[in-house]
Amino acid sequence: MSALDLPLREQASAIAAGSVEAAELLEATLERIAQRNPAVNAVVDSFPERSREMLAKAPKGPLHGVPVVIKDEWPLPWRAQRFGAAEMFAVTAPGESGPYRALRDAGAVIVGVANMHELGASSTGNTSVYGPARNPWNTERCPGGSSSGPAAAVAARLVAGAVGADGVGSIRFPAAYCGLTGLKPTFGRSAMAGHHLASISSTIVSGPLCADAADCRLLGSVLFGEGLAAGGAAGLRIGIVTDTVSEDVAPEVRAACEEGIEALRTETAGEVLEVKVEGIEQGSLASVLIANTESLGDVSPERLNHLNPELSPIARGFAKYRMLLPAAASVKAQRVRTLMRHRLAAAFEEVDLIAWPTVPAVAPPLEAPLVELPSGTLSADQANVRGAGLANLTGIPSISVPVGFAGGLPIGLQLQAAWGREDLLLDAAEALERANGRRWVEALSPVAEAEPSEV
Amino acid sequence: MEASNRADDFISAGLASLGIIPDEVDLAVMAAAHQLFWPPIRDLLALDTSGFEAERCPDLSRPPGDG
Repeated sequence: MSALDLPLREQASAIAAGSVEAAELLEATLERIAQRNPAVNAVVDSFPERSREMLAKAPKGPLHGVPVVIKDEWPLPWRAQRFGAAEMFAVTAPGESGPYRALRDAGAVIVGVANMHELGASSTGNTSVYGPARNPWNTERCPGGSSSGPAAAVAARLVAGAVGADGVGSIRFPAAYCGLTGLKPTFGRSAMAGHHLASISSTIVSGPLCADAADCRLLGSVLFGEGLAAGGAAGLRIGIVTDTVSEDVAPEVRAACEEGIEALRTETAGEVLEVKVEGIEQGSLASVLIANTESLGDVSPERLNHLNPELSPIARGFAKYRMLLPAAASVKAQRVRTLMRHRLAAAFEEVDLIAWPTVPAVAPPLEAPLVELPSGTLSADQANVRGAGLANLTGIPSISVPVGFAGGLPIGLQLQAAWGREDLLLDAAEALERANGRRWVEALSPVAEAEPSEV
Repeated sequence: MEASNRADDFISAGLASLGIIPDEVDLAVMAAAHQLFWPPIRDLLALDTSGFEAERCPDLSRPPGDG
């Protein structure tokens, strides 16, 4: 197997052991990006000289010499973020962001900036100033958003690890659509400095997207600045809910997620318990209201009357609509936040994890992102946000893990745990991988199965 | 008076009061957004949260009331 196709941790250990030359791996990665990226549009900017410079100065950290990409959501010393858009409402400039510093200090080599949905505003990834990223499992399908490029880059095996961001599901949606493991950390735990919304957002976090949980553990620990010890997951109490998020789901997704939950129960000699978490949909609406109103300080009517015409029609129209959201709704959303935090705290007294499908249907077409659910045809965004916003609203960590395929497209199961319990989420994800013989995390997308490399 | 989900009056009056000038595409997008958001927002506004105060500056990295 080419070193390019090794997991992140094995690339790191092979470089440390001297069996792989970091410089060769970097050049091979750049070549692979040049070859495969046109099919998926995952990497929107690469800078070989900067990458070589990073490698030349890389300390002997846990990711020494390992190539990674970072979402277009943080500045780099040589490049300001564009947030996937022709115009941002915040002022940005090149600089050393928190994730950049974390990666640099771990010895990683940033080989590219990854695509994202315009302004981070959708679960689909079908709109970007760079053109949409494409799903490596089917390039006519959505890769998921807003961390579309990080997910497509890993699923196409351009790199083994990517840094994304999750404000309302934006790591977990693309992880599910692209068959990856994506970790949304506890609020405030991962590096965020330099993000243009870092000082005002109460929902956004950085996090890893990788093929499997062990790689997420490694990249996550770098973003956290602390280790994430593996501890097993024996006797896991897995909570399930009777709610739209688990019931208004495409039959094949529901079946795969139920099988995944049962496999996890068996593997951990655990139990599945029904828990009551009322108000999940209101919680998700509250997360959307909070995420969409926290950044309004940068917007004025005058500004909205002179928007860049290259912004998409949806972004222009929605930017104006946000000004009409009632303040009373934002106040109610904050009360719902407290309510849901108490409800989840009570639920996590009874169970260790709460599980439901990450998204209710597999990746829809890029051209028409609609999904067919038992309740009817919905926009993917409307359907996806239902099960994702609660983690952002309340601050808890959450992970999406692959549990199967339908029609050649991946299915993701979401696991949520109490505040600070990323270790448990990763232990559970690894237990699930063992239970299914790692077949979902080792499956290769058609784009990733393309020509082998010599390195 | 009955509450309404109609976009026409709400959006045009709201934008005019703020001095925001929409084009036809903006209005179509906003009508679609309104159809999606307004019914659940009305449900949210109708929620009785009296006697239940939001946490002041919640520490979202911890459970409520912890530390």
